Amino acid sequence: MKNMQVNANKNSNLSLAGALVLAGGAALALSQYFIWIHAPVEVTMGLVQKIFYLHLPAAWWGMICFFIVFCASIGFLLRRSPAMDQLAASAAEIGLLYSTMALATGSLWARVSWNTWWTWDPRLSTALIMWFIYAGYLVLRQSIDNRRKMRMVAAVLGIMAFLNVPLVFLSARMWRSIHPAVFASEGGGLEPEMLTTVIVCVVSLGLLTAGLLMFRFRQKNIQERVLDLYRH
Amino acid sequence: MSLEMTYLIASNVVIWLGIGGYVFYLAAVQKKLERKLEQLEELSHEQ
Repeated sequence: MKNMQVNANKNSNLSLAGALVLAGGAALALSQYFIWIHAPVEVTMGLVQKIFYLHLPAAWWGMICFFIVFCASIGFLLRRSPAMDQLAASAAEIGLLYSTMALATGSLWARVSWNTWWTWDPRLSTALIMWFIYAGYLVLRQSIDNRRKMRMVAAVLGIMAFLNVPLVFLSARMWRSIHPAVFASEGGGLEPEMLTTVIVCVVSLGLLTAGLLMFRFRQKNIQERVLDLYRH
Repeated sequence: MSLEMTYLIASNVVIWLGIGGYVFYLAAVQKKLERKLEQLEELSHEQ
């Protein structure tokens, strides 16, 4: 009876996650209207400025995911709970995906605006270092067979890796960077329609992130239980 | 089509492919997991 209840809870969690993913996907599709039609074309940069509406949410949610890795890693070290480790692993995966998307869209924007795909600017360099650190984090998780040891090492790395994240965020303000610091001025210096579009895009990707994170977390939880059953 | 438009579309493709690819990956993992669970259920019935 208790098992049936647990299964029902798991299924409802997966359904909620699936619903959130669908809602996020639909919201992201709707945000296309805001990007292409609602937001005005920027005078200096032209159409290419609209890449910003895709680039910024990916970069922000990527960093938020890495913050979740940081918190869950601390949680694991304090409570030794496998769930915290699974949450950290799930968030790292999604964060890395978003960072990849942010780097790729940024590179496309740079090609038109700066006439180069890549430059060793402080913001770009710290973002690339962050990408490699979290890619390394995920590789490391796969390369240690002893699960207890792996969780411990991953938790320590999950905390250490986050040290670079605030640096990515602040790099454009702290050092001489050609990367625009969008919200450095009050109100962000954006037109109201542009601000609305930014908010819609950030919220849409946020919904999707919540759904993906929840789904992956439950999936990792079940995966580990199945692995335990096979081993015993 | 202007160069700027091409790059904006390319950025959209990056986002949708990234998310779509990850959702497909999750679906594939879920399918594999369900197969394993079915196998385990069959094994427990046999025992």
